[in-house]
Amino acid sequence: MELFDTATVLTRVLTSGVVMSIEKSDRELPGLERLLTKKTRRSKAVLLNSRTGAIHAALAGQGIGHGDSVALAEPDAETAAFLAWLGVHVTAYDGPAAYDHIALDPANADRLGELAAGATAPALVVDLTGLGFGPAAAVLTDDPRLWARAERLKIFGAYDLRTMWTQEEADADLVPGVQFNYRLSPLVAACVRMALTQAQTQAAQTQAAQHRPAVTSGATQS
Amino acid sequence: MITDFPNSPLPLPNPADLDDELAALGGAEIIPKAMRRTLFPVITKEDVFNLMLAQRQTPEKVVADFAEAYRAYVGAGFALPTASGTSSLHMALVGAGVRPGDEVIVPAFTFIATAQAVVAAHAIPVFVDVDPVTYCMDPAAAAAAVTERTRALMPVHVHGLPADVPALRALADRHGIALVEDASHAHSAKIGDRVAGSLGDAAGQSLMADKNFPLGGEGGIAFFAQEESYERAVSYLARHGIDYGMSWVAAAFGSSQLKRLPYYDEIRARNAALLGEALRGTGLFTPPHVPAGHVHAYNMYRITLHPEAVGLDDLPVYAVKEAVHELLVAEGVPAREWQNTPIPCHLPFQHRDGFGNGYPFSLNPGAVRDHRPEDFPVTLGMLDSTLVLCRELRSPVEYERILRYADAFRKVARRPDAIRKLVEDREYVRPYEKAARLG
Repeated sequence: MELFDTATVLTRVLTSGVVMSIEKSDRELPGLERLLTKKTRRSKAVLLNSRTGAIHAALAGQGIGHGDSVALAEPDAETAAFLAWLGVHVTAYDGPAAYDHIALDPANADRLGELAAGATAPALVVDLTGLGFGPAAAVLTDDPRLWARAERLKIFGAYDLRTMWTQEEADADLVPGVQFNYRLSPLVAACVRMALTQAQTQAAQTQAAQHRPAVTSGATQS
Repeated sequence: MITDFPNSPLPLPNPADLDDELAALGGAEIIPKAMRRTLFPVITKEDVFNLMLAQRQTPEKVVADFAEAYRAYVGAGFALPTASGTSSLHMALVGAGVRPGDEVIVPAFTFIATAQAVVAAHAIPVFVDVDPVTYCMDPAAAAAAVTERTRALMPVHVHGLPADVPALRALADRHGIALVEDASHAHSAKIGDRVAGSLGDAAGQSLMADKNFPLGGEGGIAFFAQEESYERAVSYLARHGIDYGMSWVAAAFGSSQLKRLPYYDEIRARNAALLGEALRGTGLFTPPHVPAGHVHAYNMYRITLHPEAVGLDDLPVYAVKEAVHELLVAEGVPAREWQNTPIPCHLPFQHRDGFGNGYPFSLNPGAVRDHRPEDFPVTLGMLDSTLVLCRELRSPVEYERILRYADAFRKVARRPDAIRKLVEDREYVRPYEKAARLG
């Protein structure tokens, strides 16, 4: 994203006065959630403040915890270390995977939909850090229970960002044991959303230019 | 643009307002509905400009500059910026040498993140009661909980009042264990000249945007007295592949806000003093106690009720509190409970599933307790008899508003008859008998 565009987004959010993820009137986090669910064609999104937070949420959302095993295709060394810290063992990949992983950056941000279409795991971890606004990630899923557990992991057992204060829970199984603050800042969410939207727009414009008919000599005559 | 000048300034108090009927009984409200909103954090043109300028630097430099500026302000040896308060507490514990299966003593009254950070460090939180005056960790209770597997004491400077660090330091030294501060409420709080965050071997602090010192959304910072502790935390993150990094956007906002923190601290202290003076005059209410030599940061302002002072001592104190709560809210004062049961009685510490399958509690079953609220009588007594102002006292609540809060407390305290009638009409229960709440 251009500096001017980032400045515009930051100014817009700051002028709204809402920079807190638990603010009832925040519009930026729901906006990014909507964009990500639309692009990936998943029904639910959980926004998180890092790639590792998202991996944790994707696994905890499925009830996978310390001492459990998951199938994954060759995690990189950093991810393997994180999984070991969670106490999750990785078994040989013979499918299905516990989660799929996509890392976005300015070069591939326009291809989120295409990349997500090839993912088959119950949870899709999308690392948004490469877009340049700091650690940021999301878990996309069609499983409402996975979503509910992941939300509760990231915000101290709350139903959602707007009800973090109450610990009343009809379904005790949804309350995670360990809870973190994996919440994403609305300011970061706003910048990420703008970057994804612009990448899509620019890709569409490029594609349109490539498919435009060749200019004929007659067309240039006035 | 958001500024510290409200769109609808409150008029100055009118002494005649105190003679009105209570708002809950049909009288005029001390603060009308349209004028109740408080803005926080305050965002100025300067903040916007500073965020734009931050784009001209590398993200790493923006975060490092913020961390260094705030470290210098606090006077800690080393600082590690993180994504949240919870992650900062986790890193503080790790840096202080807490290892899997260790016991860490924490107060039963705090935000749940204090104890969850201990679990994040794969250690076991051991809960103790609080002091009846300061509501911070009781050093005697902590002393009674020390075992051979205790690795750290983690007091919380709750609501912004520094815990009894000298007594806890002596206890920690006596047992050769670490003192780790949870300074999440205590930005600019002090004991003597030393700022919270620099008092222990390590400290964690939330910088989320609802704190006295807000970042642009979410953030935290861990402080360490010794370089060895800092390095231990940094290598832990690398070794376990954990990303607790702070966004440059949040950091840039924090750098800008840091310049105004001392001004906001002054406003908050003024507000607390004004309100405290008014409360003392009511008989029914007293303000937070501040021990000599301590500077309270007033992230929250916990007010204690004394029903005996207005002839209501025959009623249960929790019922008087509930009635007063209703009357204050009707007047436009957003008082609240902020916690209604000891943290060890919340579901995660009743279930103790941890990271799954009971880890890390399974590492040290001897440290695990099935707690009931009655195990923490001082905490229960506090929850029964106190109310809290949260964001409403934070900077820079305007002068007119704090005067009107004071008037609302005066107005309610004058009406023990109305309080008694509410108690008789309602079926109030003790706070912990309701579903556990964090706020």
